[in-house]
Amino acid sequence: MRNTSPIVFIAASIIALGGLGVTAVVAFFVLNAWFGVSVLAQAPDQPIDFPHTVHAGTVEEGGIGLDCTFCHRNVTDGAAATVPSVQQCMFCHSQITGTTAQAEREIAKLTAASEAGDPINWKRVHRLPDHVEFVHDAHIRYFAEQNGVEASAVCSTCHGDVASMTKVKQVRALKMGDCVDCHREYSAPTDCTICHR
Amino acid sequence: MTTTRRDFLKWSGVGALGTVVFVGCGIPEEELLIQSPATMPENMVSGLEAWYATSCAQCGAGEGVIVRIIEGRAIKIEGNTDHPVSRGKTSVRCQAGLQALYNPDRVDGPMKRTGERGSGDFMPITWNQALDELTAGLQSQDPSSVTMITDPMRGTLGKIAKRFMNGYGGSHMALESMENTVLRRVSRELFQQDQLPVFEIEKADYVLNFGADFLSTWLSPVQYSRAYGQFRQGRNHRGTLVQLEPRMSMTAANADKWHYLNPGTEGTVALSIAYVLMSDSADRLDPAAVDAMTGGAGAQALSAFAPESVAGNTGLSAEYIRKIAHDLAASQHSLVIGGGSAAAHTNGLASMKAIYSLNFLLDSINKDGGIKFNPSSPLSEEDAASDVAAFADWEDLRNRMSGGQVGALLVHGANPAYTLESIDFAAAANGVGTIVSFASFMDETAALADLILPDHTYLESWGDDVPNPGPGYQVVTFQQPVVFPFHQEGGRGTRAFGDVLLDLARRLGGTGFNLPWPTMKDAVRASAQELQGLNRGSVRAADFEAFWISALQRGGWWDESFKGDQPAVSPPSLAELAANPDFSGGMGEYPFYLIPFQSNSITDGRGANLPWLQAAPDPMTTATWETWVEINQRRADELDIKEGDILDIQSPSGTIRALAYPTPAAHPDVLSIPTGLGHTHYGNYKIGPDLSRTLVAKDRGSNVMSIVSPLKDGQTNALAWSATRVRISKTGEWVRLPKFEGAVPPQFPDGLFPLYGRGDATH
Repeated sequence: MRNTSPIVFIAASIIALGGLGVTAVVAFFVLNAWFGVSVLAQAPDQPIDFPHTVHAGTVEEGGIGLDCTFCHRNVTDGAAATVPSVQQCMFCHSQITGTTAQAEREIAKLTAASEAGDPINWKRVHRLPDHVEFVHDAHIRYFAEQNGVEASAVCSTCHGDVASMTKVKQVRALKMGDCVDCHREYSAPTDCTICHR
Repeated sequence: MTTTRRDFLKWSGVGALGTVVFVGCGIPEEELLIQSPATMPENMVSGLEAWYATSCAQCGAGEGVIVRIIEGRAIKIEGNTDHPVSRGKTSVRCQAGLQALYNPDRVDGPMKRTGERGSGDFMPITWNQALDELTAGLQSQDPSSVTMITDPMRGTLGKIAKRFMNGYGGSHMALESMENTVLRRVSRELFQQDQLPVFEIEKADYVLNFGADFLSTWLSPVQYSRAYGQFRQGRNHRGTLVQLEPRMSMTAANADKWHYLNPGTEGTVALSIAYVLMSDSADRLDPAAVDAMTGGAGAQALSAFAPESVAGNTGLSAEYIRKIAHDLAASQHSLVIGGGSAAAHTNGLASMKAIYSLNFLLDSINKDGGIKFNPSSPLSEEDAASDVAAFADWEDLRNRMSGGQVGALLVHGANPAYTLESIDFAAAANGVGTIVSFASFMDETAALADLILPDHTYLESWGDDVPNPGPGYQVVTFQQPVVFPFHQEGGRGTRAFGDVLLDLARRLGGTGFNLPWPTMKDAVRASAQELQGLNRGSVRAADFEAFWISALQRGGWWDESFKGDQPAVSPPSLAELAANPDFSGGMGEYPFYLIPFQSNSITDGRGANLPWLQAAPDPMTTATWETWVEINQRRADELDIKEGDILDIQSPSGTIRALAYPTPAAHPDVLSIPTGLGHTHYGNYKIGPDLSRTLVAKDRGSNVMSIVSPLKDGQTNALAWSATRVRISKTGEWVRLPKFEGAVPPQFPDGLFPLYGRGDATH
């Protein structure tokens, strides 16, 4: 450092600290994505502001108390929970056009899609990597039969209390460690090929 | 500042790492979406697959297939395990059916010609306009001058087409590019059968095969491949297959012994084998058959065919002919079959009769491991074979066309402008009043048309099929639409050929046509009702709806116990079957025989617009995408021809170009060239950054059938497509033949650098 002027020294320190800061931020995102729910991947804006509170919330809370399986029909029968088709939304919404200005605006988007015959591209909230196969019906059947829990109560084990969310967000990490912990707790198989197939 | 090599590598590394980290970790946009479909019928669930059974129309075998459907889209085609012809297996051609459905080159609605004929200028019109024009056109024509050209159509669609043309007063001709006319004639004259016979390969001990490439493209390859598996590995003893053929085909490569013989001498070899059988193994033979076939003279009747006398002419040694005859006699279940190039000579019928006659001598008719017969179709009016026109009929049509005697041509499922290039069908089309094409794709014939009324693909339409040859009992394959028609824009889109014919019949005044069904589906249901009425077979029900649904679910109806009457057949007289072949072009001027063969994937050219089929390697050469010519290695060395040299192949009828493929497994005087390429249309869609190249058929390779001389079998008038002689000359150009084989050790023409690994400093 003999020939270094103080300014250069200070500048070098700032750059070094800045580098440390960048490293820390990157490390945070990496660790966060690796171990938990990524802060970037929560509660995306949807093409239609669909309030689960109104549909699935209890009557006391101001909802209409629909069971999850009323719309996510395939969840007790197959691997995918499935989102309902526009046609299925219109079974009710051909009559129900909304009680507030905001509801009317959002339901109008649905009606427009239905009239145009267009699909709705929802933003995916829960996504597992391609090398994992998760089968909804097996999990629901297990909890419902073993523990006598209603299907809609089983959903909240992983998805949280969706009925109280105006905007759905992921609440559990749903990483491999999370899956394996639960499988161990309930003595479910932990062979690789159970999920990776 | 200068950048050192080390700096450059360092920064390249960082750049590459960054790219990997930030792009590789990203998730493609579409995976972050989950779609609410607009409508969702109850039987269609996201993430749940459904398999529907239908019939494959990619080749003529009538195989049953099942199609995997996810959310209304066809995803995969597999064999139907229930179906007697396919039994869960498929060919490469079936698999590629998806690419026909999703093909970017499909004609998406009716079109009307605006420019010169053949210019390719069309304008889109609606179905109403198209049908109005066609109706008016047909009303103004003299019906007898109207000809419908189709592929050999079986089942209900064949019935509708036949009744339509009868009602209208025109004629109907079915076009088969590599004609089976000779084989059908053999079946009719030797066995009194309209349906092709059953070859029980799976139960035979010894199969002698003259030229039939039954593992690749001949008649019903999926059925035969399964039988061949049984023949080799399905029993406690292994059958022996001997192949006599000028070219080493895929079947020849699988045989225990392949030997080439001189083209056209197959019948002579068969008679020589008959001579040896009668003189050396008389106890093994059926004495009644021997008497009937020789007029009581026994071996003496064929003394001119002693192996020693025919050896020079046929190219087989006398000992080898004797050995084959002795092996045939020593086996309990011996089967002799023939087809392919053996039938495609000017003496084709005589040769094929001689070949199949050996089965009479060996007592293999109506026996296990021999030749058995298929019962007739369970559907009424089902005889597609009778519509297949022989080559002479096409020459006649060509003459009438250029003479202005043909008012209109209706073309469906056939591409005569390509298939009949050797007789200039396209040029003759200028003399035709109106040409109407029902093609799904813009092929050479559609490009000449005045009106195009595009058909659905088979995955979108109703139909049925009676496989011929069948498995030995009655089978009807049902074809149901497994997806909604891909093109159904308002007023345009595609429409099933059967529906269009039914509609036309109503527009033309109806009653005389005897076509009472409103739609093709109703017509197929009427055929199903006939089957229900039989009250036997795999599906039986008192209620028609129950029958219909079960039959569709299983992919068809069959009755394994109904084998029909096995006819009492009488053997032919052998001495009359001697005939020598003729060839076009003199031996001196044209030193090579030309043997075209059906490409395993593209077949006669109909698969040329599907990239999967273009890219599927030929089983023998592993070559793709190009037309090559197989030439004997030693002859190639003499002529200084290397692999990839572009050669001009000249016959008395024309010249084509092909890439040389020298191979030791080839007759020294034979050039073999695959069929199917050399299209001028068909597969027009463009690829590349500037859309400068066509990916598939158009302008790729050469059409070998265009240089086949129009010689015919004397008795059946079928095209003798193996009777052409050719000469070759080098063009001096070279391209690498695209193929998989030969990577180790690499072989390159002198002067060209290998990419790596040769370790040869002199280059």
